[in-house]
Amino acid sequence: MQISTHELKSKIIESLKLQDITPEQIDDDAPLFGTGLGLDSIDALELVVLLEKEYGIVIKDIEEGRPAFRSVRTLADFIAVKRPQ
Amino acid sequence: MREPEVVIAGCGVISAVGCGVGPLRTALQNNASGLRASEKFSAPRFLSNIVGPAPRNPDDDNPAWFLAAEALQQARANAGRALATIPAEKTGLILSTTKANIEALERISAGRPCSETARRHLRADLLAADLAAAHGARGPVQTVSTACVSGLVAISQAAKTIQRGDADAVLVVGVDCLSEFVVAGFTALKALDPQGCRPFDQDRSGLSPGEAGAAVVLVRADLCAQPAIKVRAFGGSNDANHLTGPSRDGSGLAQAIRVALSAAKLNPSEIDFVHAHGTGTGYNDAMESLALKTVFGEACPPVSGAKGMLGHTLGAAGVIETICCVLAMENNFLPGTPRLSHAAEGTPPGLVREPRPAARLKNVLKLNTGFGGLNGALILSHD
Amino acid sequence: MTEISIAAASTVTGADLPAARLGQRFGRLDLQSQLALLAVASLNVNFDGLPRDRTGICLAASAGSLSTDVNFWNGRHAVGGPSPTLFAYTLPSAAVGEVAIHFRLTGPNLCFVGDDKIILPEAADLLRRGEADACVCIYCDVVTADCSKIISLPPAAMARAFFLKNGGGGICTLPEFDRDMKALSAIIFQTKSAG
Repeated sequence: MQISTHELKSKIIESLKLQDITPEQIDDDAPLFGTGLGLDSIDALELVVLLEKEYGIVIKDIEEGRPAFRSVRTLADFIAVKRPQ
Repeated sequence: MREPEVVIAGCGVISAVGCGVGPLRTALQNNASGLRASEKFSAPRFLSNIVGPAPRNPDDDNPAWFLAAEALQQARANAGRALATIPAEKTGLILSTTKANIEALERISAGRPCSETARRHLRADLLAADLAAAHGARGPVQTVSTACVSGLVAISQAAKTIQRGDADAVLVVGVDCLSEFVVAGFTALKALDPQGCRPFDQDRSGLSPGEAGAAVVLVRADLCAQPAIKVRAFGGSNDANHLTGPSRDGSGLAQAIRVALSAAKLNPSEIDFVHAHGTGTGYNDAMESLALKTVFGEACPPVSGAKGMLGHTLGAAGVIETICCVLAMENNFLPGTPRLSHAAEGTPPGLVREPRPAARLKNVLKLNTGFGGLNGALILSHD
Repeated sequence: MTEISIAAASTVTGADLPAARLGQRFGRLDLQSQLALLAVASLNVNFDGLPRDRTGICLAASAGSLSTDVNFWNGRHAVGGPSPTLFAYTLPSAAVGEVAIHFRLTGPNLCFVGDDKIILPEAADLLRRGEADACVCIYCDVVTADCSKIISLPPAAMARAFFLKNGGGGICTLPEFDRDMKALSAIIFQTKSAG
């Protein structure tokens, strides 16, 4: 089942303690890492924790998550596919 | 460094390769590794159970005290003749540690027995004060905590203390213990190699935690009758890049090396051996290789690292690895790099795999880097 | 001997944090790093005029990183494991790192556990030895309620910063005899409001 990108953005903001930003200000297709939101390697690890905590998805190898972490949309798609039913 | 000169009059150590300087020297000469699988860290919540444990009681509620005190006792005995002439009021102590007696936090949180002293030594400054009191140091006391560069900073601080006349001798002790806290933390950062660390190896994939107590006694050179290794210079810098990842181009570490060389009035070509930080993580070893290339160009001196032998001993690393350098200089050999199989592309061409005899090592460069972008370079010299 | 002067001073507490505007990622820092960073920002020093590799940072933390250590350890049973971000801050030198990153300061760093008496003499020594031309000095006293229950220190959330530089012309020159940051801070803030 597809999850709302709005909900996912809220969870990202909360998990990474981003300040002065609302879900509406994050573009679905903007890069999460490097440019765009400018997240870094520690954030990637926190997102791995988020995936397990909120969606029950366990990522063993950070490389597995890399393509999924490209944008909010790719992450939402990943969750929809991998989430235990 | 400024006059007066400062020398290392004695050493003490307890680590994954045993208790005492003798066993450490033997391990270095045999390229041994003290890393092993530990039951304590075999649960699935830990990314690796390969660690470097020191010979101690696993049920000790104050391992930080035990390891530090053991190292100090040995070092003071080894520096006996020099120390005997120096009053307690002119003897300082500097502690280097990242987590002090973190064991106490684990016990208290789990509702397990924990003595008041063990709890007290959660606070590194109190651990330092008590160690000073127990080891005849009534001079200045400092507690240095600069991540994995702590040991080198502590040694540098000790030299400064002596040079400005606040003390004639300083006991420098570095300690950190194996703990669930640290293994869980590096697991969360996915920074452990499940197979055990392999510094500078093409297949390296993380560090291995280790524990140690290591101590060096620094004294004013004119108070040390025997020939001794000089603490010649120290250079520090910050990458100002990222909290847990080093600056990719190694420029911060290169800067620290240059500052040390300049303070020592040495050219890069006068360095006979480099003892690397070499944690075994992808980023660190690559960055260090780059920094060495930047400073030394194609003429890099022999390089090796000890973390495949001892694990990453955090606050103790700078001290115990300095002792490795002292042993190399005193015994005219180049230590190897335990657990190295195939050197990664870009590693210094002079990377020493197996120990070998060396002509006199006159000037040795010891490097460490730490979380927070910290870099440190210490130069030791023979006369 | 060249003069060393205190060019700026600041004190911040936990109450100052909600109004702090130090970037989108400020929330990720642990309490001690936040207070240290805010204290340095409140110095209002323009670091642009200085060579970054000649500006040092000298910090002392009364309780090391124990408040964050307790925080991290309390989260060990969470689904997904304890927080990787928090672990990165279980070092008193993390605050030094954050200040260095934010203000791009690449000079020498010192970080101690204990009271503030060590900071100014060591920072002044960096300048006298020629290892730096200026030094950001920070004292952090951060003890959360949870941490206070475990170690024998009262709850606290405060950071104090000074900016030390070679030469005169600052708020005051560094007295040779009195290096107590708290006493100095009191004098400086008195001087500032009188002047």
